[in-house]
Amino acid sequence: MGRIHVVSDSGSDLPKEIREKYNISIVPLSIQFGDDVYVDGVDMPTERFYSELKNGDRLPSTCQPSPADFVKLYEEIAEPGDEIISVHLSSKLSGTYQSAVLASTMVSDISVTVVDSKLASIGIGFVALAAAEAVQNGASKEEALAQAQKVIDNLGVYFVVDTLDFLRRNGRIGKAQAVVGTLLNIKPILTLDDGVVAPVEKVRGKAKALKKIRESIRQYQEDHGGKKLRIGLTHADCLEEAQRFAELLKQDIDIHDLYIDYIGPTIGVHVGPGTIALLFHPIE
Amino acid sequence: MIDGTIEWEEKTLDVLKGADFKKMFFAAAQIIDREKEQVNALNVFPVPDGDTGTNMALTLAAALRELDKVDSVSVSKVCAAVARGSLMGARGNSGVILSQYFRGFSEGLSNVTEATGEDLARALTMASETTYRAVLKPVEGTMLTVGKAAAKAANDAAKHRKGAEIVLEAAIEGARIALDNTMNMLPVLKQAGVVDAGGKGLLLILESALAGLRNHDLVVSEETKTPVTDVIQPFEEGITLIDGVLVNKYCTEFIIQGKDLDVGYIRDHLEPHGESMLVVGDGDVVKVHIHTDHPGLVLEFCAEQGDLTEIKIDNMKLQNQQYTQNKSMEAEKESVRKPIGIVAVSPGKELSEIMMSLGVDEIVHGGQTMNPSTEELVKAVENVNADAVIILPNNKNIIFSAQQVREFVTKELGVLATRTVPQGIASLISFNPEASLEANLAEMEQAMRLVKTGEVTYAVRASKAGELNIEEQDIIGLVEGKISCVGQCIADVTIQLVEHMVSEDSSVISIYYGQDQDPEEAEALRDALEEKYPDCEVEVYKGGQPLYYYILSVE
Repeated sequence: MGRIHVVSDSGSDLPKEIREKYNISIVPLSIQFGDDVYVDGVDMPTERFYSELKNGDRLPSTCQPSPADFVKLYEEIAEPGDEIISVHLSSKLSGTYQSAVLASTMVSDISVTVVDSKLASIGIGFVALAAAEAVQNGASKEEALAQAQKVIDNLGVYFVVDTLDFLRRNGRIGKAQAVVGTLLNIKPILTLDDGVVAPVEKVRGKAKALKKIRESIRQYQEDHGGKKLRIGLTHADCLEEAQRFAELLKQDIDIHDLYIDYIGPTIGVHVGPGTIALLFHPIE
Repeated sequence: MIDGTIEWEEKTLDVLKGADFKKMFFAAAQIIDREKEQVNALNVFPVPDGDTGTNMALTLAAALRELDKVDSVSVSKVCAAVARGSLMGARGNSGVILSQYFRGFSEGLSNVTEATGEDLARALTMASETTYRAVLKPVEGTMLTVGKAAAKAANDAAKHRKGAEIVLEAAIEGARIALDNTMNMLPVLKQAGVVDAGGKGLLLILESALAGLRNHDLVVSEETKTPVTDVIQPFEEGITLIDGVLVNKYCTEFIIQGKDLDVGYIRDHLEPHGESMLVVGDGDVVKVHIHTDHPGLVLEFCAEQGDLTEIKIDNMKLQNQQYTQNKSMEAEKESVRKPIGIVAVSPGKELSEIMMSLGVDEIVHGGQTMNPSTEELVKAVENVNADAVIILPNNKNIIFSAQQVREFVTKELGVLATRTVPQGIASLISFNPEASLEANLAEMEQAMRLVKTGEVTYAVRASKAGELNIEEQDIIGLVEGKISCVGQCIADVTIQLVEHMVSEDSSVISIYYGQDQDPEEAEALRDALEEKYPDCEVEVYKGGQPLYYYILSVE
């Protein structure tokens, strides 16, 4: 009986200590600034990415890993007879999932199951984490996949961007296309609907948007029988704001565990600086 | 004639050797890198992120690095290196598909030392088949379709015992026809008025391969005539029509020849004249493509820059007639008809613009002391092309006239009793064009209740309001229409007024300054309020209203 490995991508924004604790391997996407290509987390640290994004006049884009990148990692971490659960960015936002699926057909003697999380940022991370936790508790691959699926089905997502320009320019704006009101400082609260960006509500100002999100999470907890929540609070270079918001959340919400971390370059390219994202699901 | 044909056929290669394939791949990599911007500009599917050409170029560059390591002259080894290299360096969706194309191509030529026409056709077929297997949900009208058409044309030629070079030529022709047709297969392409970017990239690669084989630079085709040095998002906005009215109806294309032509300057000058603009080229040759209503102005300006050639002006309206003939006038009108439209009363030009940006269809000018008549409101409601209309009176004295409108129109009508401009704006922000009239009225009413309105104006006569003694010409601040503070200085009264409005829950203070108000004073007010209320965002906009120095909202 071989071992089960969990793999994700750099869109998962998983804190380093979690990746290490649960042995979750990451396949990085690459970040292109003009003709310069960097690898997320390798030669493009998050802090530098945001300072380039803010100061530089070159607008970046992302590029999915190639199937060969996946094959290389799969063969590196797994021995013949091992199994792999590979959890990735929404297939409607990135071709990463497709590359992984292709790669899964190119490795022999390793059984790879690729999961379309239909999510982004630490939402993907939570799906991978659920699978990894199950594996660590001795679950079979099928059981671990069932745990992962449960997180996908339950995960709540809200995020607020400073401007819709980044989503629009990179073609990821989805159903938020119709959001109007460019003359006023209107902040749309956004979510992911079946893997695609969709608007929830429009409000004036980020503070109000965050307040609404707080109310929505409180309602979500009520709807889920008051179960404790695992919450990911990811931010695009606005740590202080995220920490202040976390303090407020702690007042209202019964929290199982809370992770505050950067939105890494992979997602940061598409949402832009100032974005705050909340991803959460109940823990049994 | 017959001699000529035979002579030409003799010149083409029956079989391709490893060295030929090397030449072909080198040329393809070089030319796609040069032309990548052209391909990027077409990119609208699956996500319009404009990187298809770059990804294909980088993928081929990686293939080339691998090819460099191969000394062998065997066809199968050359192609295997390209397959391996492109797989290692596959970038982006289009790059991954391209790498699969080469993978299939290489498998089709395994154990081949010299490729005949039949070999090449088989390789192109396997290349296409591999791409279909690689994609989870194959979509027609893409690079896949173009690859398939190339394979089919190659097989047809090979069946007639054509040599390898002729087979490649046939494949290119098949690909070209299929590419032109992609626009009819994918609605998103049709809408944007472009062919598929990945398909264009693949065609470029095949064309460059043939050019490389013949030791030519790429044979000039319509769009690749000038080296692309500067592309402005050409077709992203597409043509403004399909179902509605056509604006910028003349598709105008020509080439400017001259010396030291300034592409940026020409582009900046032409931009206001139309859309779907493409101004590309270098200092000597610039190609212009623009959809405009004023081709004369465009040509006149460009004639001053250099010599015009290959001028082509098409009337897209006439071209489009076949399409529109199928639709009755009624249907055309219906197609832009909205379920819900909005009429709003606005006291100032800039406030009107803000309201329009939030989805208002018709503005009726009016406010305090200039209440619009019911008749004006009726006219505005009739002008809105919608089944149902919501009226926002935005002043307590206009609510009644707005309710009267019901007597005169057949459209379904909702009057939301907004008593102030900020209430109107707050309700507009929560408007959802996809929800029903009832749901919208309920949501909008709730939103309007969450905003507090303040107004700063002057007293037209002496009076008393509660404890406050007011002299004529005094500056007064009102909260929800009730006088709450008095003074002689506009700024002081405004700051006092805001004190009456802000609570612990407040997060946004908006200031709309009046038509005669100094913008600098408004900015100074912003600074003062930001300092006083660090938890609030303070926003300043010109409102352009008369009588009121400031209209404020706190929410």
